[in-house]
Amino acid sequence: MTYLCHILIILNIYASLGIALNLLVGYTGLLSLSQAVFLGVGAYSTALMTHSSIPCSWPLSILVGIGISSIMALIIGAISLRFRDDLFAIATFSFQVIIYNLMQNLTGITEGPLGISGIPSPRIGCVVLTSYWAFLVLSLVFAIVSIYIARRAVLAPYGRLLRAIREDEISVTAMAKNTATLRVSTFVFASMISSIAGSLYASYLTYIDPSIFTVQESIFILAIVIIGGPGRLWGPVLGAALLVSLPEGLRLLGLPSSVAANTRQILYGAALVGCMIWRPQGLVGKYSLRSDERG
Amino acid sequence: MTTVALKKHFDGTKAVDSVSLSIFGRTIVSLIGPNGAGKTTLFNVVTGFLPPDIGRVFFEGRDVTHMAAFRRARLGMGRTFQEMRLIRRLSALENVWLALPNQRGETVIGALLGLHEREEKRRRAEAMRWLEYVGIAETANQLAGELSYGQQKLLTVGCCLGMGAKLLLLDEPVAGVNPALVDRTLELLERLRHEEGKTIVLIEHNMDAVMRISDRVVAMDEGRIIADGTPEEVRESAAVIEAYLS
Repeated sequence: MTYLCHILIILNIYASLGIALNLLVGYTGLLSLSQAVFLGVGAYSTALMTHSSIPCSWPLSILVGIGISSIMALIIGAISLRFRDDLFAIATFSFQVIIYNLMQNLTGITEGPLGISGIPSPRIGCVVLTSYWAFLVLSLVFAIVSIYIARRAVLAPYGRLLRAIREDEISVTAMAKNTATLRVSTFVFASMISSIAGSLYASYLTYIDPSIFTVQESIFILAIVIIGGPGRLWGPVLGAALLVSLPEGLRLLGLPSSVAANTRQILYGAALVGCMIWRPQGLVGKYSLRSDERG
Repeated sequence: MTTVALKKHFDGTKAVDSVSLSIFGRTIVSLIGPNGAGKTTLFNVVTGFLPPDIGRVFFEGRDVTHMAAFRRARLGMGRTFQEMRLIRRLSALENVWLALPNQRGETVIGALLGLHEREEKRRRAEAMRWLEYVGIAETANQLAGELSYGQQKLLTVGCCLGMGAKLLLLDEPVAGVNPALVDRTLELLERLRHEEGKTIVLIEHNMDAVMRISDRVVAMDEGRIIADGTPEEVRESAAVIEAYLS
Protein backbone atom coordinates (compact mmCIF):
# COMPACT_ATOMS: atom_id res chain seq x y z
CA MET A 1 0.00 0.00 0.00
CA THR A 2 2.75 2.41 0.91
CA TYR A 3 4.46 1.42 -2.31
CA LEU A 4 1.41 2.51 -4.26
CA CYS A 5 1.32 5.74 -2.29
CA HIS A 6 4.94 6.30 -3.14
CA ILE A 7 4.29 5.85 -6.84
CA LEU A 8 1.33 8.18 -6.74
CA ILE A 9 3.25 10.85 -4.88
CA ILE A 10 6.08 10.73 -7.39
CA LEU A 11 3.51 10.74 -10.16
CA ASN A 12 1.83 13.85 -8.82
CA ILE A 13 5.11 15.69 -8.48
CA TYR A 14 6.24 14.82 -11.97
CA ALA A 15 2.82 15.56 -13.40
CA SER A 16 3.14 19.09 -12.01
CA LEU A 17 6.60 19.43 -13.50
CA GLY A 18 5.23 18.25 -16.80
CA ILE A 19 2.34 20.69 -16.64
CA ALA A 20 4.78 23.53 -16.08
CA LEU A 21 6.99 22.48 -18.96
CA ASN A 22 3.97 21.93 -21.18
CA LEU A 23 3.30 25.64 -21.03
CA LEU A 24 6.67 26.18 -22.59
CA VAL A 25 6.90 23.22 -24.94
CA GLY A 26 3.32 22.47 -25.81
CA TYR A 27 1.76 25.89 -25.83
CA THR A 28 4.58 28.23 -26.74
CA GLY A 29 6.64 25.78 -28.76
CA LEU A 30 9.81 26.33 -26.77
CA LEU A 31 11.81 23.16 -26.25
CA SER A 32 13.41 23.79 -22.89
CA LEU A 33 15.93 21.34 -21.48
CA SER A 34 16.62 23.15 -18.25
CA GLN A 35 13.58 22.42 -16.13
CA ALA A 36 15.57 20.27 -13.75
CA VAL A 37 17.51 23.38 -12.76
CA PHE A 38 14.43 24.83 -11.15
CA LEU A 39 13.38 21.50 -9.71
CA GLY A 40 16.78 21.34 -8.08
CA VAL A 41 16.75 24.93 -6.88
CA GLY A 42 13.43 24.38 -5.14
CA ALA A 43 14.62 21.11 -3.67
CA TYR A 44 17.89 22.50 -2.38
CA SER A 45 16.30 25.68 -1.04
CA THR A 46 13.92 23.69 1.06
CA ALA A 47 16.57 21.18 2.04
CA LEU A 48 19.14 23.74 3.09
CA MET A 49 16.76 26.07 4.82
CA THR A 50 14.81 23.53 6.82
CA HIS A 51 17.86 21.48 7.67
CA SER A 52 20.13 24.31 8.71
CA SER A 53 21.21 25.20 12.22
CA ILE A 54 18.67 27.98 12.17
CA PRO A 55 15.68 26.10 10.86
CA CYS A 56 13.35 28.14 8.74
CA SER A 57 9.70 27.51 8.15
CA TRP A 58 8.83 25.19 5.34
CA PRO A 59 6.55 27.62 3.51
CA LEU A 60 9.29 30.22 3.67
CA SER A 61 11.76 27.83 2.13
CA ILE A 62 9.36 27.30 -0.74
CA LEU A 63 9.07 31.02 -1.28
CA VAL A 64 12.82 31.41 -1.27
CA GLY A 65 13.05 28.58 -3.76
CA ILE A 66 10.56 30.33 -6.02
CA GLY A 67 12.46 33.57 -5.69
CA ILE A 68 15.80 32.09 -6.63
CA SER A 69 14.25 30.07 -9.43
CA SER A 70 12.59 33.12 -10.89
CA ILE A 71 15.80 35.08 -10.95
CA MET A 72 17.66 32.22 -12.54
CA ALA A 73 14.85 31.72 -15.02
CA LEU A 74 15.04 35.39 -15.94
CA ILE A 75 18.72 35.09 -16.66
CA ILE A 76 18.60 31.75 -18.42
CA GLY A 77 15.47 32.73 -20.28
CA ALA A 78 16.65 36.15 -21.37
CA ILE A 79 19.78 34.65 -22.84
CA SER A 80 18.36 31.47 -24.32
CA LEU A 81 15.31 33.13 -25.82
CA ARG A 82 17.48 35.13 -28.15
CA PHE A 83 17.82 31.94 -30.09
CA ARG A 84 15.30 30.06 -32.14
CA ASP A 85 14.17 26.49 -31.97
CA ASP A 86 17.12 24.11 -31.89
CA LEU A 87 19.58 26.70 -30.68
CA PHE A 88 17.25 27.56 -27.85
CA ALA A 89 17.15 23.92 -26.82
CA ILE A 90 20.94 23.75 -26.89
CA ALA A 91 21.21 26.95 -24.87
CA THR A 92 18.92 25.64 -22.14
CA PHE A 93 20.76 22.35 -22.26
CA SER A 94 24.02 24.17 -21.69
CA PHE A 95 22.69 26.02 -18.71
CA GLN A 96 21.43 22.77 -17.29
CA VAL A 97 24.88 21.24 -17.51
CA ILE A 98 26.56 24.32 -16.05
CA ILE A 99 24.22 24.45 -13.08
CA TYR A 100 24.62 20.75 -12.46
CA ASN A 101 28.36 21.09 -12.29
CA LEU A 102 28.06 24.08 -10.00
CA MET A 103 25.84 22.13 -7.65
CA GLN A 104 28.15 19.18 -7.76
CA ASN A 105 31.21 21.23 -6.97
CA LEU A 106 30.06 23.99 -4.66
CA THR A 107 30.45 21.59 -1.81
CA GLY A 108 30.56 24.42 0.69
CA ILE A 109 26.94 25.21 0.03
CA THR A 110 25.43 22.06 -1.33
CA GLU A 111 27.60 19.33 0.20
CA GLY A 112 28.22 18.24 -3.37
CA PRO A 113 27.80 14.58 -4.20
CA LEU A 114 27.22 13.75 -0.57
CA GLY A 115 23.87 15.39 -0.78
CA ILE A 116 21.77 16.56 2.08
CA SER A 117 20.09 14.03 4.25
CA GLY A 118 17.73 14.26 7.13
CA ILE A 119 15.52 16.87 5.57
CA PRO A 120 12.75 17.43 8.07
CA SER A 121 9.13 16.88 7.28
CA PRO A 122 7.09 19.81 6.14
CA ARG A 123 5.63 21.85 8.90
CA ILE A 124 2.82 24.26 8.19
CA GLY A 125 2.06 26.08 11.38
CA CYS A 126 1.58 23.32 13.93
CA VAL A 127 0.83 20.60 11.43
CA VAL A 128 3.68 18.27 10.63
CA LEU A 129 3.26 16.03 7.63
CA THR A 130 5.06 12.77 8.00
CA SER A 131 2.90 9.96 6.74
CA TYR A 132 2.61 8.75 3.20
CA TRP A 133 -1.03 9.69 3.16
CA ALA A 134 -0.20 13.24 4.12
CA PHE A 135 2.26 13.53 1.28
CA LEU A 136 -0.17 11.93 -1.09
CA VAL A 137 -2.78 14.51 -0.27
CA LEU A 138 -0.26 17.31 -0.42
CA SER A 139 1.17 16.25 -3.77
CA LEU A 140 -2.29 15.63 -5.17
CA VAL A 141 -3.45 19.06 -4.11
CA PHE A 142 -0.40 20.57 -5.71
CA ALA A 143 -0.95 18.68 -8.95
CA ILE A 144 -4.58 19.76 -9.07
CA VAL A 145 -3.68 23.35 -8.32
CA SER A 146 -1.04 23.24 -11.07
CA ILE A 147 -3.59 22.02 -13.58
CA TYR A 148 -6.04 24.64 -12.44
CA ILE A 149 -3.53 27.44 -12.80
CA ALA A 150 -2.37 26.18 -16.16
CA ARG A 151 -5.94 25.95 -17.33
CA ARG A 152 -6.72 29.50 -16.31
CA ALA A 153 -3.63 30.74 -18.07
CA VAL A 154 -4.31 28.78 -21.22
CA LEU A 155 -7.95 29.80 -21.56
CA ALA A 156 -7.14 33.47 -21.18
CA PRO A 157 -5.92 35.77 -23.98
CA TYR A 158 -2.47 34.90 -22.66
CA GLY A 159 -2.93 31.29 -23.73
CA ARG A 160 -4.13 32.36 -27.14
CA LEU A 161 -1.06 34.53 -27.50
CA LEU A 162 1.21 31.62 -26.61
CA ARG A 163 -0.37 29.39 -29.21
CA ALA A 164 -0.10 32.16 -31.75
CA ILE A 165 3.57 32.67 -30.95
CA ARG A 166 4.10 28.97 -31.35
CA GLU A 167 2.71 29.10 -34.84
CA ASP A 168 4.00 32.40 -36.16
CA GLU A 169 5.90 34.76 -33.94
CA ILE A 170 6.44 37.37 -36.63
CA SER A 171 2.72 37.64 -37.15
CA VAL A 172 2.20 38.26 -33.48
CA THR A 173 4.91 40.91 -33.43
CA ALA A 174 3.21 42.66 -36.33
CA MET A 175 0.07 42.75 -34.18
CA ALA A 176 1.91 44.93 -31.69
CA LYS A 177 2.57 42.29 -29.04
CA ASN A 178 5.82 42.12 -27.13
CA THR A 179 6.65 38.52 -27.81
CA ALA A 180 10.02 38.67 -26.08
CA THR A 181 8.43 39.58 -22.76
CA LEU A 182 5.76 36.95 -23.19
CA ARG A 183 8.24 34.21 -23.77
CA VAL A 184 10.43 35.17 -20.86
CA SER A 185 7.48 35.48 -18.51
CA THR A 186 6.27 32.02 -19.52
CA PHE A 187 9.72 30.68 -18.85
CA VAL A 188 9.75 32.25 -15.39
CA PHE A 189 6.22 31.08 -14.67
CA ALA A 190 7.13 27.47 -15.52
CA SER A 191 10.22 27.72 -13.35
CA MET A 192 8.18 28.78 -10.35
CA ILE A 193 5.88 25.78 -10.54
CA SER A 194 8.87 23.50 -10.99
CA SER A 195 10.54 25.01 -7.97
CA ILE A 196 7.58 24.24 -5.73
CA ALA A 197 7.56 20.69 -7.07
CA GLY A 198 11.21 20.48 -6.14
CA SER A 199 10.57 21.64 -2.61
CA LEU A 200 7.91 18.98 -2.19
CA TYR A 201 10.20 16.39 -3.64
CA ALA A 202 12.99 17.21 -1.22
CA SER A 203 10.73 17.09 1.81
CA TYR A 204 9.29 13.81 0.70
CA LEU A 205 12.54 12.02 -0.09
CA THR A 206 14.30 13.52 2.98
CA TYR A 207 17.51 13.12 1.07
CA ILE A 208 18.64 14.85 -2.10
CA ASP A 209 21.83 15.03 -4.06
CA PRO A 210 22.89 16.73 -7.29
CA SER A 211 21.37 13.94 -9.35
CA ILE A 212 18.23 16.03 -9.25
CA PHE A 213 19.99 18.55 -11.42
CA THR A 214 21.06 16.27 -14.21
CA VAL A 215 20.27 16.59 -17.86
CA GLN A 216 18.61 13.18 -17.69
CA GLU A 217 16.12 14.65 -15.27
CA SER A 218 15.30 17.47 -17.68
CA ILE A 219 14.93 15.00 -20.49
CA PHE A 220 12.65 12.88 -18.36
CA ILE A 221 10.37 15.83 -17.74
CA LEU A 222 10.46 16.64 -21.43
CA ALA A 223 9.59 13.05 -22.26
CA ILE A 224 6.58 13.28 -19.97
CA VAL A 225 5.34 16.26 -21.92
CA ILE A 226 6.07 14.93 -25.38
CA ILE A 227 4.86 11.39 -24.87
CA GLY A 228 1.82 12.49 -22.95
CA GLY A 229 0.91 15.04 -25.54
CA PRO A 230 2.07 18.63 -25.86
CA GLY A 231 -0.46 21.38 -26.03
CA ARG A 232 -3.12 19.53 -24.05
CA LEU A 233 -3.63 20.19 -20.37
CA TRP A 234 -3.92 16.53 -19.41
CA GLY A 235 -1.06 15.39 -21.61
CA PRO A 236 1.64 15.61 -18.95
CA VAL A 237 -0.57 13.79 -16.46
CA LEU A 238 -0.84 10.82 -18.79
CA GLY A 239 2.81 11.11 -19.65
CA ALA A 240 3.77 11.08 -15.99
CA ALA A 241 1.48 8.14 -15.32
CA LEU A 242 3.13 6.18 -18.08
CA LEU A 243 6.74 7.10 -17.45
CA VAL A 244 6.65 6.87 -13.69
CA SER A 245 4.95 3.52 -13.59
CA LEU A 246 7.02 2.03 -16.36
CA PRO A 247 10.24 1.43 -14.40
CA GLU A 248 8.22 0.17 -11.48
CA GLY A 249 6.68 -2.29 -13.85
CA LEU A 250 10.19 -3.36 -14.76
CA ARG A 251 10.97 -3.99 -11.16
CA LEU A 252 7.96 -6.21 -10.85
CA LEU A 253 9.29 -8.22 -13.75
CA GLY A 254 12.15 -9.19 -11.50
CA LEU A 255 14.99 -7.32 -13.09
CA PRO A 256 17.82 -6.71 -10.65
CA SER A 257 17.90 -3.07 -9.63
CA SER A 258 21.28 -2.36 -11.20
CA VAL A 259 19.99 -3.38 -14.58
CA ALA A 260 16.63 -1.79 -14.04
CA ALA A 261 18.12 1.66 -13.52
CA ASN A 262 19.93 1.65 -16.83
CA THR A 263 17.12 -0.02 -18.67
CA ARG A 264 15.01 2.89 -17.58
CA GLN A 265 17.24 5.31 -19.41
CA ILE A 266 17.10 3.20 -22.52
CA LEU A 267 13.35 2.98 -22.28
CA TYR A 268 12.85 6.72 -21.95
CA GLY A 269 15.12 7.40 -24.85
CA ALA A 270 13.45 4.74 -26.97
CA ALA A 271 10.01 5.96 -26.02
CA LEU A 272 10.93 9.50 -26.97
CA VAL A 273 12.39 8.50 -30.31
CA GLY A 274 9.52 6.16 -31.06
CA CYS A 275 7.09 8.90 -30.19
CA MET A 276 8.73 11.29 -32.59
CA ILE A 277 8.66 8.78 -35.40
CA TRP A 278 5.20 7.32 -35.04
CA ARG A 279 3.16 9.69 -32.99
CA PRO A 280 4.73 13.10 -32.62
CA GLN A 281 1.68 14.57 -31.04
CA GLY A 282 1.99 12.21 -28.13
CA LEU A 283 -0.87 10.27 -26.60
CA VAL A 284 -3.43 13.02 -26.50
CA GLY A 285 -1.57 16.03 -27.79
CA LYS A 286 -2.84 18.67 -30.14
CA TYR A 287 0.52 19.82 -31.25
CA SER A 288 3.26 17.98 -33.01
CA LEU A 289 6.82 19.01 -32.33
CA ARG A 290 8.17 17.68 -35.56
CA SER A 291 9.25 20.57 -37.70
CA ASP A 292 7.72 19.12 -40.82
CA GLU A 293 4.39 18.89 -39.16
CA ARG A 294 4.41 22.19 -37.40
CA GLY A 295 1.95 24.82 -38.52
CA MET B 1 1.52 61.55 -41.58
CA THR B 2 4.41 59.26 -42.24
CA THR B 3 7.71 60.32 -43.53
CA VAL B 4 10.30 57.90 -44.58
CA ALA B 5 13.59 59.54 -45.35
CA LEU B 6 16.75 58.37 -46.99
CA LYS B 7 17.19 54.72 -46.27
CA LYS B 8 19.92 52.64 -47.72
CA HIS B 9 19.99 48.96 -47.11
CA PHE B 10 22.46 46.33 -48.08
CA ASP B 11 21.37 42.79 -48.28
CA GLY B 12 24.36 41.63 -50.21
CA THR B 13 23.14 43.89 -52.93
CA LYS B 14 21.58 47.30 -52.58
CA ALA B 15 18.07 46.21 -51.81
CA VAL B 16 16.92 49.67 -50.92
CA ASP B 17 19.17 52.36 -52.30
CA SER B 18 18.70 55.85 -50.95
CA VAL B 19 14.97 55.88 -50.78
CA SER B 20 13.40 59.04 -49.51
CA LEU B 21 9.69 58.91 -49.37
CA SER B 22 7.13 61.02 -47.62
CA ILE B 23 3.59 59.90 -47.25
CA PHE B 24 0.89 62.06 -45.80
CA GLY B 25 -2.43 61.04 -44.34
CA ARG B 26 -5.71 59.88 -45.79
CA THR B 27 -4.37 58.62 -49.04
CA ILE B 28 -3.83 55.44 -50.97
CA VAL B 29 -0.35 55.08 -52.39
CA SER B 30 0.65 52.19 -54.56
CA LEU B 31 4.20 50.97 -54.66
CA ILE B 32 4.96 49.23 -57.91
CA GLY B 33 7.96 47.81 -59.62
CA PRO B 34 9.37 44.58 -61.00
CA ASN B 35 10.26 41.74 -58.67
CA GLY B 36 13.37 42.41 -56.68
CA ALA B 37 12.89 46.16 -56.85
CA GLY B 38 13.08 46.43 -53.09
CA LYS B 39 9.45 47.09 -52.31
CA THR B 40 9.00 44.43 -49.65
CA THR B 41 12.42 45.22 -48.22
CA LEU B 42 11.30 48.82 -47.91
CA PHE B 43 8.22 47.67 -46.00
CA ASN B 44 10.36 45.52 -43.75
CA VAL B 45 12.68 48.38 -42.87
CA VAL B 46 9.84 50.83 -42.29
CA THR B 47 7.99 48.43 -39.99
CA GLY B 48 11.10 47.42 -38.10
CA PHE B 49 11.52 43.86 -39.25
CA LEU B 50 14.82 44.73 -40.86
CA PRO B 51 17.29 47.34 -39.65
CA PRO B 52 18.47 49.92 -42.16
CA ASP B 53 22.12 50.46 -42.80
CA ILE B 54 21.83 54.17 -43.23
CA GLY B 55 18.93 56.53 -42.95
CA ARG B 56 15.95 57.15 -40.80
CA VAL B 57 12.32 56.31 -40.58
CA PHE B 58 9.84 58.76 -39.16
CA PHE B 59 6.28 58.11 -38.20
CA GLU B 60 4.00 60.97 -37.23
CA GLY B 61 7.00 63.11 -36.59
CA ARG B 62 8.79 60.59 -34.38
CA ASP B 63 12.06 58.99 -35.27
CA VAL B 64 11.31 55.30 -35.12
CA THR B 65 14.45 54.14 -36.85
CA HIS B 66 15.63 52.11 -33.88
CA MET B 67 12.29 51.26 -32.40
CA ALA B 68 11.30 47.62 -32.05
CA ALA B 69 8.82 46.33 -34.59
CA PHE B 70 6.07 45.66 -32.09
CA ARG B 71 6.37 49.18 -30.73
CA ARG B 72 5.99 50.68 -34.17
CA ALA B 73 2.92 48.54 -34.61
CA ARG B 74 1.61 49.94 -31.36
CA LEU B 75 2.08 53.45 -32.67
CA GLY B 76 -0.21 52.60 -35.52
CA MET B 77 1.85 50.96 -38.23
CA GLY B 78 -0.03 47.97 -39.48
CA ARG B 79 1.22 45.62 -42.14
CA THR B 80 0.48 42.47 -44.01
CA PHE B 81 3.02 40.10 -45.45
CA GLN B 82 3.70 38.93 -48.95
CA GLU B 83 3.72 35.34 -47.73
CA MET B 84 0.37 35.63 -45.94
CA ARG B 85 1.00 35.38 -42.23
CA LEU B 86 -1.96 34.27 -40.19
CA ILE B 87 -2.51 32.05 -37.19
CA ARG B 88 -4.11 29.19 -39.05
CA ARG B 89 -4.95 27.16 -35.98
CA LEU B 90 -7.06 29.91 -34.52
CA SER B 91 -10.43 30.94 -35.87
CA ALA B 92 -10.86 34.08 -37.93
CA LEU B 93 -12.49 35.76 -34.97
CA GLU B 94 -9.66 34.75 -32.68
CA ASN B 95 -7.13 36.15 -35.11
CA VAL B 96 -8.71 39.58 -35.00
CA TRP B 97 -9.30 39.27 -31.26
CA LEU B 98 -5.61 38.57 -30.84
CA ALA B 99 -4.80 41.86 -32.51
CA LEU B 100 -6.95 43.97 -30.21
CA PRO B 101 -4.71 46.18 -28.13
CA ASN B 102 -4.50 46.61 -24.37
CA GLN B 103 -6.22 43.42 -23.40
CA ARG B 104 -6.07 42.65 -19.75
CA GLY B 105 -5.59 38.92 -19.84
CA GLU B 106 -2.42 38.94 -21.90
CA THR B 107 0.08 38.65 -19.09
CA VAL B 108 0.57 35.68 -16.80
CA ILE B 109 -0.72 37.57 -13.81
CA GLY B 110 -3.62 39.08 -15.71
CA ALA B 111 -4.60 35.66 -16.96
CA LEU B 112 -4.44 34.05 -13.53
CA LEU B 113 -6.42 36.82 -11.92
CA GLY B 114 -9.01 36.59 -14.62
CA LEU B 115 -8.83 40.28 -15.42
CA HIS B 116 -10.01 39.65 -18.92
CA GLU B 117 -13.29 38.10 -17.96
CA ARG B 118 -15.11 41.32 -17.48
CA GLU B 119 -14.28 42.67 -20.89
CA GLU B 120 -14.67 39.45 -22.80
CA LYS B 121 -18.07 40.22 -24.30
CA ARG B 122 -17.00 43.66 -25.35
CA ARG B 123 -13.83 42.37 -26.95
CA ARG B 124 -15.63 39.65 -28.81
CA ALA B 125 -18.08 42.21 -30.20
CA GLU B 126 -15.21 44.47 -31.16
CA ALA B 127 -13.47 41.69 -33.05
CA MET B 128 -16.74 40.76 -34.78
CA ARG B 129 -17.21 44.35 -35.86
CA TRP B 130 -13.91 44.31 -37.72
CA LEU B 131 -14.75 41.02 -39.33
CA GLU B 132 -18.02 42.55 -40.50
CA TYR B 133 -16.28 45.67 -41.71
CA VAL B 134 -13.94 43.73 -43.96
CA GLY B 135 -16.81 41.54 -45.04
CA ILE B 136 -15.97 38.10 -43.74
CA ALA B 137 -18.24 37.91 -40.74
CA GLU B 138 -19.59 34.55 -41.84
CA THR B 139 -16.18 32.95 -41.36
CA ALA B 140 -15.86 34.04 -37.74
CA ASN B 141 -15.72 30.57 -36.26
CA GLN B 142 -13.85 28.86 -39.02
CA LEU B 143 -10.17 28.16 -38.60
CA ALA B 144 -8.16 30.77 -40.42
CA GLY B 145 -6.38 28.03 -42.28
CA GLU B 146 -9.67 26.94 -43.83
CA LEU B 147 -10.63 30.25 -45.35
CA SER B 148 -10.27 30.90 -49.04
CA TYR B 149 -7.18 32.77 -50.14
CA GLY B 150 -9.08 35.99 -50.73
CA GLN B 151 -10.84 35.70 -47.38
CA GLN B 152 -7.51 35.18 -45.67
CA LYS B 153 -6.20 38.35 -47.25
CA LEU B 154 -9.24 40.23 -46.01
CA LEU B 155 -8.63 38.72 -42.59
CA THR B 156 -5.08 40.05 -42.49
CA VAL B 157 -6.46 43.50 -43.19
CA GLY B 158 -9.04 42.92 -40.47
CA CYS B 159 -6.25 42.14 -38.01
CA CYS B 160 -4.50 45.40 -38.87
CA LEU B 161 -7.71 47.26 -38.24
CA GLY B 162 -8.34 45.39 -35.01
CA MET B 163 -4.92 46.47 -33.88
CA GLY B 164 -5.84 50.06 -34.50
CA ALA B 165 -3.50 50.74 -37.37
CA LYS B 166 -3.53 54.25 -38.81
CA LEU B 167 -1.08 53.41 -41.52
CA LEU B 168 -1.63 50.19 -43.39
CA LEU B 169 1.25 48.74 -45.35
CA LEU B 170 -0.32 46.01 -47.44
CA ASP B 171 1.91 43.67 -49.35
CA GLU B 172 0.02 42.45 -52.42
CA PRO B 173 -3.50 42.58 -50.98
CA VAL B 174 -5.19 41.33 -54.13
CA ALA B 175 -2.59 39.15 -55.78
CA GLY B 176 -3.94 35.69 -56.51
CA VAL B 177 -7.40 36.58 -55.29
CA ASN B 178 -10.46 35.74 -57.37
CA PRO B 179 -11.91 38.75 -59.25
CA ALA B 180 -15.06 39.10 -57.16
CA LEU B 181 -13.08 39.39 -53.98
CA VAL B 182 -10.62 41.73 -55.67
CA ASP B 183 -13.42 44.22 -56.18
CA ARG B 184 -14.56 43.83 -52.59
CA THR B 185 -11.07 44.31 -51.28
CA LEU B 186 -10.50 47.43 -53.36
CA GLU B 187 -13.81 48.86 -52.19
CA LEU B 188 -12.75 48.12 -48.66
CA LEU B 189 -9.50 50.03 -49.12
CA GLU B 190 -11.31 53.02 -50.55
CA ARG B 191 -13.76 52.97 -47.67
CA LEU B 192 -10.90 52.82 -45.22
CA ARG B 193 -9.44 55.90 -46.77
CA HIS B 194 -12.65 57.88 -46.96
CA GLU B 195 -14.51 56.78 -43.86
CA GLU B 196 -11.81 55.85 -41.43
CA GLY B 197 -9.16 58.27 -42.59
CA LYS B 198 -6.55 55.57 -42.92
CA THR B 199 -3.36 55.93 -44.86
CA ILE B 200 -2.72 52.98 -47.10
CA VAL B 201 0.41 52.01 -48.93
CA LEU B 202 0.11 48.94 -51.03
CA ILE B 203 2.54 46.88 -53.02
CA GLU B 204 0.75 45.52 -56.03
CA HIS B 205 1.41 44.00 -59.40
CA ASN B 206 -2.21 44.16 -60.49
CA MET B 207 -2.08 47.31 -62.63
CA ASP B 208 -5.85 47.62 -62.99
CA ALA B 209 -6.22 47.69 -59.24
CA VAL B 210 -3.40 50.19 -58.92
CA MET B 211 -4.84 52.50 -61.50
CA ARG B 212 -8.29 52.23 -60.04
CA ILE B 213 -7.78 53.20 -56.45
CA SER B 214 -4.46 54.96 -56.07
CA ASP B 215 -4.14 58.64 -55.35
CA ARG B 216 -0.47 58.37 -55.99
CA VAL B 217 1.89 55.79 -57.43
CA VAL B 218 5.53 55.31 -56.56
CA ALA B 219 7.58 53.11 -58.83
CA MET B 220 10.76 51.38 -57.77
CA ASP B 221 13.44 49.52 -59.63
CA GLU B 222 16.66 48.06 -58.30
CA GLY B 223 16.24 49.71 -54.93
CA ARG B 224 15.57 53.22 -56.21
CA ILE B 225 12.47 55.27 -56.78
CA ILE B 226 12.16 55.88 -60.48
CA ALA B 227 8.81 57.59 -60.63
CA ASP B 228 6.42 59.26 -58.24
CA GLY B 229 3.17 60.90 -59.20
CA THR B 230 -0.43 60.35 -60.19
CA PRO B 231 -1.30 56.97 -61.67
CA GLU B 232 -1.51 58.46 -65.19
CA GLU B 233 1.84 60.21 -64.90
CA VAL B 234 3.61 57.11 -63.74
CA ARG B 235 1.99 54.95 -66.36
CA GLU B 236 3.34 57.18 -69.09
CA SER B 237 6.76 57.45 -67.52
CA ALA B 238 9.52 56.16 -69.76
CA ALA B 239 11.58 54.98 -66.85
CA VAL B 240 8.77 52.79 -65.57
CA ILE B 241 8.06 51.26 -68.94
CA GLU B 242 11.70 50.47 -69.36
CA ALA B 243 11.98 48.94 -65.92
CA TYR B 244 9.16 46.55 -66.61
CA LEU B 245 10.37 45.62 -70.03
CA SER B 246 14.02 45.08 -69.20
